[in-house]
Amino acid sequence: MTDPVAPKGPLLVLKDVSKRFGGLRAVSDLNLAVRHGELRCLIGPNGAGKSTVFKLIIGFERPTTGTITFDGAVIDRWPRWRRARQGLSVKMQVPGIYPELSVHDNMRVAAQYHVKSGQMEEAIDRLIARVGLTGLERELAKNLSHGQQQWLEIGMALSVNPKLLLLDEPTAGMGPGETEATARLVESLNADGVTIMVIEHDMTFVRQIARTITVMNLGRVFAEGTIAEIEANQGVMDIYLGRT
Amino acid sequence: MLNGVFNAFYQFEVSFSFLFLSAIGLAVIFGMMGVINLAHGEFMMLGAYITTIVATHGVPLIVAVPLAALGVALFGAVVEILVVRRLYGRLLDSVAATWAVGLIMSQGMLILTGPSMQGVSSPFGSFAIGQTSYAWYRVFLGVVSLALIVFLYLLFMKTRYGLRARATIQNAPIARALGVDTARMYTVTFALGSALAGLAGGLFAPTATIVPFFGTNYIVEAFVTVIVGGANALIGTPIAAALLGGIAATLGTEYGLYIARVGLLLATIIVIRVLPQGVTGLIDRWRMRPIESRSTR
Amino acid sequence: MRRGASLLTAENVAFVIFFLFLLVYPITTDEFSLLNTAYFMAITLIPLSLAMIWGKAGILSFGQTAFFGIGGYLYGIYTLNVLGSGATWIGILVGVLGGGIVAAVLGWFMFYGGINDVFVGLTTLALTLVLQTFMAQTAGDEWMVGEARLNGYNGMYVPQISVGDMPLFGRPLYYLYFVFLIGIYLLLRWLAASRWGYGLLALQENRPRTETFGYNVRLMQVQVFGLAGCIAALSGVLYASWGSYIDPSSMGLTAAITPVIYVAIGGRRSLTAAMISSMILMKLSQSLASTAPEYALVIFGLLALLAVLFVPEGFMAAAFNAIDRWLFRRSAVAPAREAGDVAPGPRPGELT
Repeated sequence: MTDPVAPKGPLLVLKDVSKRFGGLRAVSDLNLAVRHGELRCLIGPNGAGKSTVFKLIIGFERPTTGTITFDGAVIDRWPRWRRARQGLSVKMQVPGIYPELSVHDNMRVAAQYHVKSGQMEEAIDRLIARVGLTGLERELAKNLSHGQQQWLEIGMALSVNPKLLLLDEPTAGMGPGETEATARLVESLNADGVTIMVIEHDMTFVRQIARTITVMNLGRVFAEGTIAEIEANQGVMDIYLGRT
Repeated sequence: MLNGVFNAFYQFEVSFSFLFLSAIGLAVIFGMMGVINLAHGEFMMLGAYITTIVATHGVPLIVAVPLAALGVALFGAVVEILVVRRLYGRLLDSVAATWAVGLIMSQGMLILTGPSMQGVSSPFGSFAIGQTSYAWYRVFLGVVSLALIVFLYLLFMKTRYGLRARATIQNAPIARALGVDTARMYTVTFALGSALAGLAGGLFAPTATIVPFFGTNYIVEAFVTVIVGGANALIGTPIAAALLGGIAATLGTEYGLYIARVGLLLATIIVIRVLPQGVTGLIDRWRMRPIESRSTR
Repeated sequence: MRRGASLLTAENVAFVIFFLFLLVYPITTDEFSLLNTAYFMAITLIPLSLAMIWGKAGILSFGQTAFFGIGGYLYGIYTLNVLGSGATWIGILVGVLGGGIVAAVLGWFMFYGGINDVFVGLTTLALTLVLQTFMAQTAGDEWMVGEARLNGYNGMYVPQISVGDMPLFGRPLYYLYFVFLIGIYLLLRWLAASRWGYGLLALQENRPRTETFGYNVRLMQVQVFGLAGCIAALSGVLYASWGSYIDPSSMGLTAAITPVIYVAIGGRRSLTAAMISSMILMKLSQSLASTAPEYALVIFGLLALLAVLFVPEGFMAAAFNAIDRWLFRRSAVAPAREAGDVAPGPRPGELT
């Protein structure tokens, strides 16, 4: 759905971003732009630097050179919490739920500053229902199955009404049924207006959701385009097979 | 003038060996398992008591002290198996638990043997340079410290145990995958650390009063040295003991014991803030400097 | 069923019993026991402050006694120098704020310096010992702040809290301390249930992840640490005023560790368990001290060890949870579904 007063300019811009770890260049002169309302997939062989890009955006790493602009603000010196309050939400590869807290408390922690205190309990119940965990509110998060934990975390990442949602391998460990459900969720979120960037290895999932794909290799953007363009690109095949 | 130099050196050596011996047992355990054994002072106390009891029954100190080390080693192994083992991964809880063990030990010793015990006198006598007399025993402690450094170096670098220990310190899961029995490694290392604590306690016994709270004289200095030294007991602890020994000796002669201790504690707080891995961290960072900045072979 | 909103929990029932007991206690007892219990109430503020930072925010501090000492000494220094009616009340404020400010600065130094977990314990312990060691050598005449002689281990004389010219004693004193204890407890309960409180629970588990939810974790750590410093300082003020005396042993190793032991035994995640257990343990410690003093500490050490090993949430807190599950059937939960059966996640069409 198009907003008549659509904001101009991309939502997220990485300009000439490099990240060095000692002698290792994880990211080199990277230029990337994500527009409002996009659904972008970031793919590439292992070690291409995809997770580092996410860490740079969220703030777990600082760029060695270059700038990162989010929603008009240059954020690369900002602390992580400030970026989050600007509308950035993330679900990393490592589990990011609170194992010793209940499902209810997990959701509360994520959502509470985005909900009026009078409506807190209803809002939390709704969010829990949205990810299919009704009835498990009192259960400790560590006792959930892997799939349920993934869903809980997706629910938490959404509860902050983000402008940009980053998902790092959201279907890791999921079977085909769950992968498809995740694809549909991601699509419907995007249709609701959430800009989403996804790192994925599962090409089935990528095919189900992708509009624009960015391919990374050796810390740089290798190719960008639609799924058809990327699949036709022999170079992309080569880097995956190590033929560079 | 030469007297002054020797005096300064002697003060430094006394401080150094005091800090090093107090700390080395704690450092070995911390370096291997990351566990802060708050009962370390009481382990030293146990070593002092065993040494004293055995020595007052006619056994020469040269036998009594190693015997004490052995006794405390066995006790430490038991503590590791019963208590510490359950708390790997729960570091804050292991701090509380080992403190409780220490409390039980000191109060237990109070109940068993009373508020104090007749000690043994320190051997070797004294010598004089100019107007000042010095104790041979304190010099001996410096020699023992150096010998201990050599011994530990040989142990960790030249024996199979040492190899397995270093592997476990670096990467326990991989070590386990390669066949190292890490559980037994932890028990043995905890026993080694306890033995060193008992050794220190036994060595200090002739110089102090034998009371159940014997450990409180050394625990603060031990912690300070371990924190400043970092996890590498072989390199970090001696360097830290030397640095802090220098500070303590200087402050002590100028301002007295209280200020010396305050100085050490403040130094610790600063180190925690600026150099949380201690001297070990500095060394690691130097080792891992980018390749370009190293001189070419 | 409204989840999470019921007040009928074992913990709350226990608090009500505790409250009523302390409320009517003065009627049933003599002056000495009254003053004794007032003393317990003053000291219990330390374990309460520790339960807040350790239980809620995961910050293990051995430094609460340092703030206790700072509070007591500052109160004494102020009230010895400034006379007149009302001075003691301002003295209380001076002590509390002084302790709080030192705590906040120390918290800033630690948390904004990246010191966390075990190193917080070590740093706070080091600071406590610095203060104790420093104060211990203030016995000389030159150690005076205005009219106040610090006096080292001889102890400093401290004026009692007074209304006008009349020092408080007996029931008024008791009820003043009672109001402080209950008031602070209720304040902490309220804070723990607030958004800020839930944020503390989150940062205890995972600091970086909590930042990515928008929480300024380091600021929150400083805030809760400063608050706990204020409370511990208040405890020091009340203690010093109660006995008209304070000395450096209140900042020693034993004093630093004791509240940790009480909270470990009673329960650090429950403010109520920490508060009630501390009062009980102090009474127990006092009784044992007259009959068999060495055994007191051995028993406590053993209890603490057993708690840490087997009942890490603390005996009283575990009892609260057990009673809740059994009596009020709080956690009647469906077993977690396996990933294999019904696929988790929303059904189609459920997403709006």
